[in-house]
Amino acid sequence: MTADMAANMRKINASQAVAESLFQEMECDERVVILGEDVGRCGGVFGSSRNLLDRFGPMRVRDTPISEMSFTGMGVGMAMAGLRPVVEIMFVDFIGVCLEQVYNAMAKIPYMSGGRVKMPMVIKTAGGNIGSAAQHSQCLWATFAHLPGMQVVAPSSARDHKGLMAAAIRSDNPVIFIEHKGLLLKQAKEFLNAGDVPAEPFVTPIGKADIVRKGGDITLVTLSASVEYAMEAAAQVAGEGIDVELIDLRSIVPLDVETVAQSAAKTGRLLVVDEDYLSFGLSAEIIVRVLERLGPSSLRQLRRHAVPDVPIPAALSLEEVLVPGPASIARVLREMAAAS
Amino acid sequence: MKLNEINLFRTMVRLRAFDEACIEGVPTFEIHGELHTSIGQEAIGAAMAQSLTPHDAVVSTHRNHYHALAKGVPPRALMAEIFEKETGLCRGRGGHMHPFDPERNFSATGIVGASLPVALGYAYNFKLKGLPYVAVGICGDGATNHGTFHECLNMAAAWGLPLVCLVENNQYAISVRFSDVTATPGIAERAAAYGALGRRVDGTDVEEVVKAFAEVAKHTRKGGGPSLLEATCYRHRGHYEGDHDNYRERAEKQRMRAEMDPIARYRRMLVERGAAEGELDQIVAAAKGEMSAMLADIRKDAMPDPAGAMDHVFAEVV
Repeated sequence: MTADMAANMRKINASQAVAESLFQEMECDERVVILGEDVGRCGGVFGSSRNLLDRFGPMRVRDTPISEMSFTGMGVGMAMAGLRPVVEIMFVDFIGVCLEQVYNAMAKIPYMSGGRVKMPMVIKTAGGNIGSAAQHSQCLWATFAHLPGMQVVAPSSARDHKGLMAAAIRSDNPVIFIEHKGLLLKQAKEFLNAGDVPAEPFVTPIGKADIVRKGGDITLVTLSASVEYAMEAAAQVAGEGIDVELIDLRSIVPLDVETVAQSAAKTGRLLVVDEDYLSFGLSAEIIVRVLERLGPSSLRQLRRHAVPDVPIPAALSLEEVLVPGPASIARVLREMAAAS
Repeated sequence: MKLNEINLFRTMVRLRAFDEACIEGVPTFEIHGELHTSIGQEAIGAAMAQSLTPHDAVVSTHRNHYHALAKGVPPRALMAEIFEKETGLCRGRGGHMHPFDPERNFSATGIVGASLPVALGYAYNFKLKGLPYVAVGICGDGATNHGTFHECLNMAAAWGLPLVCLVENNQYAISVRFSDVTATPGIAERAAAYGALGRRVDGTDVEEVVKAFAEVAKHTRKGGGPSLLEATCYRHRGHYEGDHDNYRERAEKQRMRAEMDPIARYRRMLVERGAAEGELDQIVAAAKGEMSAMLADIRKDAMPDPAGAMDHVFAEVV
């Protein structure tokens, strides 16, 4: 970031940051097109495509019918034809309707073509828990990461929402860009981490984790809204003498194992917090990759704190015991500190 | 004979000879997956080739060799891909169901119903840029009962996109008869529901298909919105090479192969118009010779290097 940029910092929220990034990228590259349900006239149900229709018109900001399979495939064809489509799937839970075009076409065509076809396409979608129950609360980033051929990005700070969206649009690879609904709805002044966003266009490189908080006792790895929860938890336990090093992954494909492993080698304790499901997921993947790198007995403690394998319930009293939050993360941190 | 008639005949004969050469690779396991041939459906590819420009886009299906050749994909690169060679169109990563030729705006998919959305994307791009090109999305009768068929025709019509939906109705979705799962006699009549131009044609009468395809492509190219062309035909072989094909009566197959062979039909027509049998025989022999020689040459090509198995997942190193 340049000095000029630092001078033009504003407090804006994640939704504004995404919309601003889309606006600026569409300004400087006429190949960029956005399509999906309610992206135009409504500006996105979370406001993250606001102000685009008026500026760029309906051919570049396309409100679609509720035809996810076909408009996702249309994005694939647009990318193959030389455009740079951003396809919005309103809630990531809807991906089941169009997964065929996502994992058989978008993700595989570059490989199946022997590298002859590029797929500069972004799927922008909202995930995460805000009390919307089983069909509107999932994260599913590990599902995309399991299927080869897609970069999977889930930003936390408002600044990263802008910089990573720009990177996703400029990438020649397909990118799944998962916005957390809780972050999209969060007010700018409430962000604990990097709430200042430069007014100018900028790119945050995909694939580099961010050490949000330096510490020497426990390495805590997470992403998306859980970074904010983990910051709260780390602040809580700091007064008790537990010094947490907090890493925001930013993306899980590519996965910055190097940064995580370096931190874990230093602290000897690794906790992965994941708002996605527990089994066959991100938490196990990170732990295994760190152990592969450092050796099977390199760490003193390993913990996973993720959504157990159950659909998300509607009732708050049930949701709270299943989804990681500041209090549950602090509890796990205290348990780890006490055990050593 | 008029040059165009002989050319049409030659085009169909070459398409068939190409697939017959590919069939040779199945029992030898040179092609180690399934193989879908177009034998009996060549008139549709030959007709399409007459109307398309190099800039038009074609998105085909699991049964795609003749569409690729009609779009100008180099036969050698295509056959080498089908034979899984490093010299293939996609360096042996795609195989016979997944040929991609971005220079010629040709692609295919192995998933039934998945071709039309991708074609819609090409059509959208042409409309966005104001280009006078069409995108042809090809599907079979089976895919017309997939949700994408409705979704794509609806969007193409609503936005006036230059999409030609070419339906090859060969009457069977593997074993499921079209009439067992569809109430209407055909598919073309659905066009009215979308405000699209709809036409049905006998897909084994090559000159009729040429006319019908030209009509719908012209309509769509001139900004008339999407069109739907249903070409009726019959798959002479199994769904794939090795298919037991016990779902179609032997008598039906014999009768339909005789009645609905576009090459035999056209040959009779040309002979009636005065074509010399010997000239037609020469065309057939030349096509077989060309494809045999091509196959023999491709057989000498290298298989992909195992060291490159992880290459091309991403465009940039990540």
